[in-house]
Amino acid sequence: MATINLVDLKKNYGPVPAVKGINLSVKDGELIVLVGPSGCGKSTLLRMVAGLESVTSGRIEIAGRDVVKAEPAERDIAMVFQNYALYPHMTVRQNLEYGLKNRGTPREEIDRRVKEAADILEIGPMLDRKPRQLSGGQRQRVAMGRAIVREPAAFLFDEPLSNLDAKLRVQMRVEIRKLQRRLKTTSLYVTHDQLEAMTLADRLVVMNGGLVEQLGTPTEVYDRPATLFVAGFIGSPPMNLLSLESIAGASGFDGLNLPAGTDVVGIRPDQLTLEQPTGPSLALAATVELLEPIGGESHLHVRLNTSNQAVILSVPGRPDIAEGAAVTIHARPADLHPFNRESGRRTDTAVANP
Amino acid sequence: MVENRPLLSFLTHLVLIVGVVIVVFPVYLAFVASTHGNGDFLSGLVPLLPGPNLIENYRLMLTEGISTAGAPPLWIMLGNSLVIAIIIAVGKIAISLLSAYAIVFFKFPFRLLAFWIIFITLMLPVEVRIIPTFKVVADLGLLNSYVGLTLPLIASATATFLFRQFFLTIPDELMEAARVDGAGPLKFFRDILLPLSRTNIAALFVILFIYGWVQYLWPLLVTTDSRYYTVVMGIKRLAATADGEPQWHLVMAAVMLAMLPPVLVVIFMQRLFVKGLVETEK
Repeated sequence: MATINLVDLKKNYGPVPAVKGINLSVKDGELIVLVGPSGCGKSTLLRMVAGLESVTSGRIEIAGRDVVKAEPAERDIAMVFQNYALYPHMTVRQNLEYGLKNRGTPREEIDRRVKEAADILEIGPMLDRKPRQLSGGQRQRVAMGRAIVREPAAFLFDEPLSNLDAKLRVQMRVEIRKLQRRLKTTSLYVTHDQLEAMTLADRLVVMNGGLVEQLGTPTEVYDRPATLFVAGFIGSPPMNLLSLESIAGASGFDGLNLPAGTDVVGIRPDQLTLEQPTGPSLALAATVELLEPIGGESHLHVRLNTSNQAVILSVPGRPDIAEGAAVTIHARPADLHPFNRESGRRTDTAVANP
Repeated sequence: MVENRPLLSFLTHLVLIVGVVIVVFPVYLAFVASTHGNGDFLSGLVPLLPGPNLIENYRLMLTEGISTAGAPPLWIMLGNSLVIAIIIAVGKIAISLLSAYAIVFFKFPFRLLAFWIIFITLMLPVEVRIIPTFKVVADLGLLNSYVGLTLPLIASATATFLFRQFFLTIPDELMEAARVDGAGPLKFFRDILLPLSRTNIAALFVILFIYGWVQYLWPLLVTTDSRYYTVVMGIKRLAATADGEPQWHLVMAAVMLAMLPPVLVVIFMQRLFVKGLVETEK
């Protein structure tokens, strides 16, 4: 139970800045997901909090205590690694106990905590096996068990699910969420998978190039991406970003009333429709290139007739549209996200985050 | 290569058996020689069956030795060889484990240089540097002592190199997990690294024990006191008698006894040894 405060945190590898000044305060019991493309500094940031990477400048406060100079073991954190990092020569029980023994925890206390964690994670029957006798999912549970028994102030997750297959990943994602809700332990979670980020996070930190692009709840980030980068990164398929020229002549464009400075307009694939919605709308003429049925919905790849720009729509069901057919796609003005290409930011106001 | 062809398996067995016979026959001949009496081997007709003097020959060699050849009883030399081989093997493993640990897991200035300096010494075997080494050992007053016999042979680039390669395959996360779990450098070494290197250590122990056991030139140089003779150099002394023929039956008895400990070490550590050579899972 603790808060984590990062104050103007920077990290350079030689002359190369990896993390360029991060301010973040994690509330008690909150799960914050750091998401971004590889090389954006999210893992470095997490490892700095863990104490595995030195800090170039700035402060890290865990439970109000500045821990920049502290060893990882003194920070009262537990970390779950991508490749689990279980000790291969120890049984599951010894793996769970190791950190507690090193801290001189009394025997009864160790046994109690190991039993509790084993019950929570349902790994009781495996306590006397070696890690190599476990499946990937079971190893993942043990790795989390090792974090739980410590009863730390904060959990740090470093892409814990990326070594699992797709099905197991969804299952473990749900379990991590439930577990975190139940234990109410402050958590930092790093991932490059935006779906994982959206579903797990209390609040989401989208990072790019060592800086925070946006901080907010998953719905805030999805509904009002603060920058062009966030708009393109969060959401699958990604948001369509249309230059102003390509929609300038379209019917309904004059009524849009875009903020000053707008030269790119973003629109989510699921907010584009083939039918004309009620109320005012923007109508764009396009040619169908490809229809991808993916079950309950289909992705329709089209090109705008005006600028030849590729646009993706997600449409419900399996519409009967031939490739090469001419269609008109519609968007409601309220669903448009206005951006400025130069600054990369939204041009309408009310985005409080940096 | 799992094939079911009778002719092929017959041929492969034949080749293996011929190979074994070629290797084993001289050893067998040595054993036969060690069971015969004085002079039987010099009669012109080499006996191929064991003779009657087995116990007598071995008892004589173990307890009395051949004083005319300047060789003490064999049990003293066997004891010396055992002590020396163990000190060399254990010393080499201990030092190379620690130096490989330092080179792989710690970042200090000139780390790579340190590694290369160790590595370059691989190119200088004992024989090449034997005169200066002898000078140093003699000046330190270590002639005729176990320290003098073992110390110059302990520093080992080979073992350091092998452990370095092994340590490099251990994922960084393991060390980081240990750090988060509150294990300092020594604890990590003791609790994680040592148990993981167990099979490698066993394999190296076998190799290094035999290396120490068969040392010949160095013990020959630094010992003049028969209390410190090792068995391998002792055999040479037995065979080199000034006048008359060597007493081959006794020499061969010594040879058989000298062969025994390395064979035992290999047999008893075979399981670990093979595991150490083939095991890759971490």
